[in-house]
Amino acid sequence: MKQTRSSLRETALLLTLGAVGLGFSLATGGDFLTSRNLSQLFIEYSITATLAVGMLLVILPGHIDLSAGSGVGLTGGIAAVLITNQQWPAPAAMAAGLAVALVLWAAMGTLVVREGIPAFIVTLGGLQAFKGLFWKVIENKTIPVAQGGTSNALSLLTTTYLPQWLGWTLAGVLIAGFAWAGWRARSARTAAGLSVETAEMWYLRTFVTAQVLGLLVLVCNRYQGVPMPLVILGAMAFGVHFLVQHTPFGRSLVAIGGNAEAALLSGIRVKRVTLVAFILMGASVALTGMLQTAYAGYSTTDVGNLLELDAVAACVIGGVSLRGGRGGVGGVLIGALLMAVLGKGMSLLGTGPEAKYMVRGAVLVTAVWLDLRMGAAH
Amino acid sequence: MSAVLAARHLTKHFPGVKALDGVSFELERGEIHALCGENGAGKSTLIKLLGGIHPKGSHEGELLVDGAPVAFDGPASAEAAGIAVIHQELALVPELSVAENLFLGRLPRRGFRVDWNRLHTETAFWLERVGVSLSPETAVESLGVGQKQMLEIARALSKKSRILILDEPTAALAEHETRTLLDLLRQFRREGVSCIYISHRLEEVFALADRITVLRDGRSVYLSKTSETNRETLIRHMAGRDIPKSDRASSPETRRAAFARNAVPRLEITGLRVTDPAAPEDAPDVLEGIDLRVHAGEIMGIGGLMGAGRSSLLMHLAGAWGRRTGGKVRLDGADLAPTSPADTLKRGLALVSEDRRRYGFIPGQSIGFNLSLSSMGEIQRGWIRGEQETPRNRAVFDELGIRAPGQETGVSVLSGGNQQKTVLGRVLLAGPKVILLDEPTRGIDVAAKEEIYVLIRKLALTGVGIVLVSSELPELINLSDRILMLREGRPSGVFPRGTSAETLLAAAMSPPTP
Repeated sequence: MKQTRSSLRETALLLTLGAVGLGFSLATGGDFLTSRNLSQLFIEYSITATLAVGMLLVILPGHIDLSAGSGVGLTGGIAAVLITNQQWPAPAAMAAGLAVALVLWAAMGTLVVREGIPAFIVTLGGLQAFKGLFWKVIENKTIPVAQGGTSNALSLLTTTYLPQWLGWTLAGVLIAGFAWAGWRARSARTAAGLSVETAEMWYLRTFVTAQVLGLLVLVCNRYQGVPMPLVILGAMAFGVHFLVQHTPFGRSLVAIGGNAEAALLSGIRVKRVTLVAFILMGASVALTGMLQTAYAGYSTTDVGNLLELDAVAACVIGGVSLRGGRGGVGGVLIGALLMAVLGKGMSLLGTGPEAKYMVRGAVLVTAVWLDLRMGAAH
Repeated sequence: MSAVLAARHLTKHFPGVKALDGVSFELERGEIHALCGENGAGKSTLIKLLGGIHPKGSHEGELLVDGAPVAFDGPASAEAAGIAVIHQELALVPELSVAENLFLGRLPRRGFRVDWNRLHTETAFWLERVGVSLSPETAVESLGVGQKQMLEIARALSKKSRILILDEPTAALAEHETRTLLDLLRQFRREGVSCIYISHRLEEVFALADRITVLRDGRSVYLSKTSETNRETLIRHMAGRDIPKSDRASSPETRRAAFARNAVPRLEITGLRVTDPAAPEDAPDVLEGIDLRVHAGEIMGIGGLMGAGRSSLLMHLAGAWGRRTGGKVRLDGADLAPTSPADTLKRGLALVSEDRRRYGFIPGQSIGFNLSLSSMGEIQRGWIRGEQETPRNRAVFDELGIRAPGQETGVSVLSGGNQQKTVLGRVLLAGPKVILLDEPTRGIDVAAKEEIYVLIRKLALTGVGIVLVSSELPELINLSDRILMLREGRPSGVFPRGTSAETLLAAAMSPPTP
């Protein structure tokens, strides 16, 4: 029953996504579907989605992170300042940004689990404090991520594309992996006497996945190849999906969000697990910070601004319950894609920021409303 | 005299349980009528019916006020008929003042504004009526329990109630507050107010009531004038005579043969003292002087009335509640400090809570998810190995006879009995040495109850030590090898197998021996 409902939601989302994409294609006379545009869309999407997938880890146990956007600016700013002003090697500067994020998120997590301050408040404080810290670090200036004409590990994050053959190989490996994993899960379920989808369903699913991945690589290769951020997002999404679905840690997160008291009495170390979720969120913030700053080409005061709300919106549209205990990576990826498509499409149409904000707000509320309606109907 | 309130043949079903079975009851004008019975005898259900909380249509039978049939669709319509129920959990808003609470929802107004002067004068009048000297502007959160109780009564009177129903009003009161309350009720009786009085304290019942009705198993089994009965008769009727004899199959002798009796006890508690960390400094200890030994294969029953500290004891042992201020707990001979539920579970002590929904399972998740929750460590190698998890859970699912399409069924859609089996399954998969069962059959149907009894006995046969808390005396007597009775957090006796319900009930009610 649950299974049916979440796949129903995802199907509805995908259909909406298709309709929105089609609408933009028609409205822009096909400009929306150019490889160059789609390639950029994928990079922007990857950045938001990376943060949203991390956000899932704190929302699952029933918390939230409003400081993520400021953290994105801060970590990228630290890296840029160390590279440009202190002449640090880029990998070391990026590691420093990551280290700061881990410490800050561990501190916020501690305040939440040990002192019992609501995450909303702690991270609202973080939002402001980290923004101030960020501006202090870059001294309200614009700091490039690399000297003009050169490149480094940070700038290459968003300017690297996989060679064509590697893109195809990666797609092939992934398709084979999906097919194998799907078949293996199916056999295991059969062996355990659980209900399984028909072999035709499995074939269809694998076929569609292959089509989508193939099309993705084809589109990307017509421009410059599969962009690195997309690969990073893929790895991150796979990692978090595995964590949530297949490890005791992920089960614990879901259990805490579902019923924290019962989770505690079931022997789950609620505080420890929640703290780890915050630290992982910190890592995700740092990763997003590097990507976002690299994509902008420099660190400046508005990098990461309001990005936390995009991440939360992507989660919520993707069916993650803000009360915790419900949600998965698949939904978040689709939710983030919907937000990214809307953003990119409206940019192409030359929509002003006023209308953009209003449309995004309306989409968020509508998506949740529809989800509640669908839930009530069951 | 004619009855101001009468109930005829009231029957009320809950899923799987008949909470009231053809109860008839009459309350005379100016009478104090006491309602007695064990936990679960049907007293709460009866007053919820009389107070309109279980509205018309949810039960069978007839209610009459002043001889005319009435049908309540909610507490408001019962109030309109002059009936006020004062519950054990008081319904006051702590942040508001005494006056605001007294007239909550019906503050006197002048135009759009609250008429504060009139509010305070009227409040003062009603407070004087119940003999409480308080400023109407005092915040309710600063009041003691006794004063809050009086405030509730004043509120009931101010609504022109002619029938007061008091559910365990003295449970939280100090001695002198109780005396004040009883005097007040006597005064009301002279003024023609009628009162249904529910209490476990038989001394109060005899000191106050005109007549006494005893409920047992949802039936009215005894009605007498107070002057024509005595304590022993009452207890006998409350306990009933038809408690089934324990079956031989799981007699302690059988189990004793399997496990050396004089080995180290599974669980040994000596002189345990626990305070409530949330209570004020000078509050008495919640538990004091608890001694308990549970051997391998033994079922140790713990009885007592509500609020006797049974659940607090189990929650404390599980590492989930309370600050230990004295005494020792040993598990298989090794000290067990009250750290966290995760630690105690790892050491081999598991709790099945009385509040399944709150502490037992994760709603919105599957049976399998819930079964695995306490034992994920054993089926993981960094990740959870489905090829181990599924068959393992399947085995427990089958053994416990959970009735559901499969382990992927959501736990929320199950019946109480099957949810309880899921919780038990989760605990069993953790491989405990001692299991604490708090009201393991509460709210589940008769058939599932029997299955759980069989399971408990089977578990004891495997050498697990079992602590069983139950409010149902027949259940306690039937399953336990020994029974510890608690009263107000203190032990009031350990009784061997075969002790009569009368003796146990007397121990639960008697004042603690000085």
